[in-house]
Amino acid sequence: MSRPAALRAAALRAAGGAVGVRAAAVLLGAVCVVWAAVPLPHRGLADLALAAAIGAVAAGALRLALTSVPTLEDTYLLTVPLRAWLRFLETLRLVPWEEGALLAVLWLEVLHPSRPWHTAVLGAALVAYLLSTHLAETDAAPRVLAPQARVLAAGAALLALGAGAGMLPAVAPGAGSALLRLVAAGALIAAAGLVLPHVTRTGDRS
Amino acid sequence: MVPNEPGSRPGTEFELRWRSSRHARRLLTLALFGVFLATLARRPEFAGLAAPALLLLAAGQGGRRPPRITVRARLRSRRGFEGELIALDVTVAGHDGCAVRLALHPGPEIAPAGPAAADGPQARFTFTAERWGRRQIGALEVVLRDRWRLAEGHARMELPRFDCYPAPARQRTTVVLRRLPNRLGEHPARVAGEGIEFSGVREYVPGDRQRSINWAASTRRGRLQVNTFAAERSQDVVLLADATSDVGEPGRSALDLALRGAAAAARAYLDARDRVGVITYQWGGISWRAPGLGRRQVYRIIDSMLAADTGGWTSDAIFQRLPRAALPPGALVVVFSPLLDQRFVETLRDMRERGFTMLVVDVLNAAPPARPGRVDQLARRIWRMEQEAIRFSLRELGVPVLPWDGEQSLDLPLAGHTRRPMAARR
Repeated sequence: MSRPAALRAAALRAAGGAVGVRAAAVLLGAVCVVWAAVPLPHRGLADLALAAAIGAVAAGALRLALTSVPTLEDTYLLTVPLRAWLRFLETLRLVPWEEGALLAVLWLEVLHPSRPWHTAVLGAALVAYLLSTHLAETDAAPRVLAPQARVLAAGAALLALGAGAGMLPAVAPGAGSALLRLVAAGALIAAAGLVLPHVTRTGDRS
Repeated sequence: MVPNEPGSRPGTEFELRWRSSRHARRLLTLALFGVFLATLARRPEFAGLAAPALLLLAAGQGGRRPPRITVRARLRSRRGFEGELIALDVTVAGHDGCAVRLALHPGPEIAPAGPAAADGPQARFTFTAERWGRRQIGALEVVLRDRWRLAEGHARMELPRFDCYPAPARQRTTVVLRRLPNRLGEHPARVAGEGIEFSGVREYVPGDRQRSINWAASTRRGRLQVNTFAAERSQDVVLLADATSDVGEPGRSALDLALRGAAAAARAYLDARDRVGVITYQWGGISWRAPGLGRRQVYRIIDSMLAADTGGWTSDAIFQRLPRAALPPGALVVVFSPLLDQRFVETLRDMRERGFTMLVVDVLNAAPPARPGRVDQLARRIWRMEQEAIRFSLRELGVPVLPWDGEQSLDLPLAGHTRRPMAARR
């Protein structure tokens, strides 16, 4: 293959990869919303939270799709539609849509009765959503996350333990028992935090 | 911060402004809201949900973040023509293993010819300048991300300026004066000399070279005859660019055409070993570059027209104050002008009366907008008649006015004057 053809092929591969990562981020966002919403509980502002989640995920997807659209630094003497478009782009890029989507999705999930494994899967999907969004907005390849693999594996283990702790039967009825389980989960996270420096140091060497 | 100049080795040092990334803020939101819901609803699975985000945030605290970096930006060439591809090589040192992302924010009239962003400490950006002038290439944004991609260090570097020359039009033929100064060149003069162009036959006189004997003519006439040749001389050419009016659409305006035409003429005459200079007539004064020889003179002339590096300057737009070096007597003056400024037209008349041989290339390719109103149409008609009168008065003085649209080769409008030597009528 000649050099220009190879360069074109590499550029096409890169563009295809970027589109794939963006599509993955949008799909993961949609999956998180559906996963947390179904079945929709009709209480505690669930409808509002659902609308907010859908809107935030859609706006975040739009922001990712328009990442490469340049903004003009000199907006002097521009037409009104062009000014409106630039203002729209600015707003789209300024508002933290993903944070809004997180809050809405978690609120939807907490409105449901306790379903620990369901919540754990949601947690994994949310972390994947955040990671893919970050990759999409920075145009980075997934391999840049390789150094985080160990920590992510430890996080997944904690996620599973959290879900397991949620499934444990209460030792006694009442609020105290639930609080005890919560303290246990917190202690687990703290223990993981203590182990963390050793895990990351190994990762640094790699 | 001083941008790098070409050839400078060490580069420029920048203090980095580190701040948490959007990714970190999202993870923090997930972690805090998860823990909050776990406490509020007393459901440990939400604490588990917050755990991966908490771990990532905790792990990222110990990441290495260099306080400063060194950026070296080097232009492959500080000069180029409109539409020419220019490369900018960027190298970042001292990033300490952090991921580097470079983004080029192009300045006005600069169009990236490839990707405007690149990953890695070394990158090459290519761009073209769409219109002549001293162009600000733009700014280079350097973003460093730590290993955990939770913190971002930003630096912004203003890139050096770039001189974009007008793309020369096409011109291969030249106008040659009938009376050439006594200086060695490539144009055949009317006097006999040591050139290579045959001019006639005359009788042999002692001292003539034997190799120039014309044996056929000698046999016919019975006496020795020798060939004579035309002397080869060069001429002084002064290009006069009128920068007082810039009408027409950008990129094809009168000034664009004037500069492109002058650049083409400079090339063509310098290729013919003529001495070429330039005078740029603009509001408030005249800048000039004395006639000279050689390939470099093309760039000096264009620099002078772009007012980047002028050879001289007079504050009043009066040609009498120009030194003889800038406007040598007997020089051919090629004018590029839309002839819209009355003072400039008067100056041309004055020069003609002083005996200069002149040629005006009319670069006006725009007219007032055609509006349906009767008064507008009348004004447009008057304007057109005025323009025709100006051109007629110059032709009456013996100054040819040749319209040029900027698209075709300059050889076409000049064709009537390049076939035979041009005489200066007094």
